[in-house]
Amino acid sequence: MAESEAAQEATGRELTMSRAMVEAIASEMEADEEVFVMGEDVADYGGIFDSTQGLLEQFGRDRIMDVPISETGFIGAAVGAAQAGMRPIAELMFVDFFGVTMDQIYNQMAKNTYMSGGSVSVPMVLMTAVGGTYNDAAQHSQTLYGTFAHLPGMKVVVPSNAYDAKGLMHRAIRADDPVVYMFHKRLMGLGWMPAPEGPKTPVPEDDYEIEFGEAAVKREGEDVTVVTLGLHVHRALEAAEDLADDVDVEVIDLRTLVPLDTEAVLDSVRKTGKLVVVDEDYRSFGVTGEIVARVAEEALDDLAAVERVAIPDVPIPYARPLEREVQPGVEDISRAVWAVHE
Amino acid sequence: MSGEPVDVDSGAVWPADAEDVTEAIVANWFVREGGRVEEGDTIAEIQIEKVSVDVPAPATGEVVEVLVGENEEFERGDALARIRPS
Repeated sequence: MAESEAAQEATGRELTMSRAMVEAIASEMEADEEVFVMGEDVADYGGIFDSTQGLLEQFGRDRIMDVPISETGFIGAAVGAAQAGMRPIAELMFVDFFGVTMDQIYNQMAKNTYMSGGSVSVPMVLMTAVGGTYNDAAQHSQTLYGTFAHLPGMKVVVPSNAYDAKGLMHRAIRADDPVVYMFHKRLMGLGWMPAPEGPKTPVPEDDYEIEFGEAAVKREGEDVTVVTLGLHVHRALEAAEDLADDVDVEVIDLRTLVPLDTEAVLDSVRKTGKLVVVDEDYRSFGVTGEIVARVAEEALDDLAAVERVAIPDVPIPYARPLEREVQPGVEDISRAVWAVHE
Repeated sequence: MSGEPVDVDSGAVWPADAEDVTEAIVANWFVREGGRVEEGDTIAEIQIEKVSVDVPAPATGEVVEVLVGENEEFERGDALARIRPS
């Protein structure tokens, strides 16, 4: 938040998350001709969630490439280009489509540096749209944060606002290892999918990087720690505001899952003793369990109470009231905070 | 130099292929009241029948008033904001 406030002083303009991402990509493409983008509908359409809006006009079809609908084909091509010294940004349109291309992502992109004994690097960014809240049903609404963070060999980045989105994108493109950059559709600032208050922030025009593995304390508090990421940073902040007269809530935005800023979580829990983890991924075998386990390993004596708020272990429903039911909402977070506070 | 406020005219950015459309909404503002803009900066994004259109600042100066808020409707030709040139 301090970074964002500094940015506010430096510039009068605010950007949506999608425009902040595009600005970082354009800047890296101007600086390094090895950087290029490939994916479904990234050229003429500008990305179905605006993640590449305007880049075709600026850089042309050699560097902003629409590809056939074969995730295995084009993500495999990106891995090869990266190993040959280029810096591809490949867009997997929805993270839900990872199944058809998981060999390229997990056995090639994530492992080739190791399998080659370090003779190649794979400096690519796999960017992908995640999340629900807009009734797109079970095959287009997942975050799959835990799935990607579970598998070693790739960084996993989840921005919650425009300032972080730009800094993390610069860092991701310059990184010499593969980065999975997961952007939440609801945060992009699309006209047809209005974002909540919060993700649109002041963004400096100059380049800057946000280091991986540095969580952000979005709100300081003494009573309860809420650890979350992505869209749910904003829901947690809203819950904290609602509760402000009764409970002093600290909200931590993880920003990156791999590497994970365990210290930031531990520092907060050592202060509050109460932990709520909020995740838009499935409850079991995921981010919530991992955070709780790390705290239990390192700060068990400080931990008085724990709650998890996540998607129940069911495919995400299409029907609006049913999706609302499974999606962690502001009230769900408030209830969990009360439960550990009392 | 500072002069009379200039309207940000929605009609000036209306696409030729949306001549028969009269209403639109403001999707995003990229500057707040009191913010400074340079002529040509993208200061807002409007949606006309699901098509996004960027709105450039018509003058360099201070945004003294935002007249149509985010997610609010307006009619073609309505002023979206006022900028005091300086």
